Amino acid sequence: MRSCERIMLALAQWLSGTPMSLAIHELDWLVPLLQTVHIIAIAMVVSSVFMIELRLLRVVKSQSIADTAHRFVPWIWTGLAILAVTGITLIIAEPQRALHNPAFQLKMLLLALAIAFICVFQISLGGKSKFWFHADQSRPAVKLLVAVLAISVFMLWCAIAFAGRLIAYLQPG
Amino acid sequence: MEQQSSDWIGELLSWIENTPLAVAIAGSDWAFPIIETVHVIALALLLGTVCVADLRLLGWASTERPYREVARESLPWAWIAFAAAAISGTLMFITKAAEYYENAAFRTKAVLLLLAGLNMLIFELATARDAANWDRARSIPWAGRVAAALSLLLWISIVFCGRRIGFTMTPN
Repeated sequence: MRSCERIMLALAQWLSGTPMSLAIHELDWLVPLLQTVHIIAIAMVVSSVFMIELRLLRVVKSQSIADTAHRFVPWIWTGLAILAVTGITLIIAEPQRALHNPAFQLKMLLLALAIAFICVFQISLGGKSKFWFHADQSRPAVKLLVAVLAISVFMLWCAIAFAGRLIAYLQPG
Repeated sequence: MEQQSSDWIGELLSWIENTPLAVAIAGSDWAFPIIETVHVIALALLLGTVCVADLRLLGWASTERPYREVARESLPWAWIAFAAAAISGTLMFITKAAEYYENAAFRTKAVLLLLAGLNMLIFELATARDAANWDRARSIPWAGRVAAALSLLLWISIVFCGRRIGFTMTPN
């Protein structure tokens, strides 16, 4: 076993003995409740990404791209914060389930990538380039690139959801 | 008579479980996680887009824009997401129809789904009839706000029941 695997295993074993972990298991409705809040937060993030993408793909055009982003990006960050809190609590509750699990590790990697995309998008909105201001009138090649990026980011979030589901299926022996 | 009526349901559920589609999904390692993921993404989009309209009705978001405009850009997607959730849900149901039917969390979820549908129907057919006038009036009528609050409560409860199903079904 590689040393980082050893560390993960040791951490998981230590966490599962902590009072907090044991306390969470006393209440058998707590894990489904935490998972429900986790799913609601997923809804916040995925739907906000979806609404921004509808605007980027010019399927809906009632607001400017900047206004759409300002409307929905805060929900993405709020959702991610809730996902972090519920996620960490779920890991503490069942450390063996997550930490030593390749699906979980893949999910975190993809999540880091998705968050990087949000940051780049948000920075590009704040900069002086006014790219998004003129995006609707840009050359077809640029519009195509934006469309491909938008759809790819959505697929990325779907992949994160799929990896999340696989955590349950790839329980270590 | 009671024995006979529950027998035909049992036979119907058993028949459903043995259809080629149900058997194929149940027998595949990948089909169920993929269908579940589609279900989760669909319900996430459903909850989110319904929330966009509901928050507008409650006067908590997008208040500078008329309700009908907010509804037009969100609710059509809610319906598409609902269809995807219903189809993926059905594909999961058929693999263990009898067990889902007996499951208390599933039954509760089914009832809540009916109530959510009813809530939406009453809202669309009665309350939202004069939605055009809402743009001129500053606030949404109480019936609209009640429908929005009910909608949010029902859909969140449906998500919770869905998770409970996962915990109360026997694993493969």
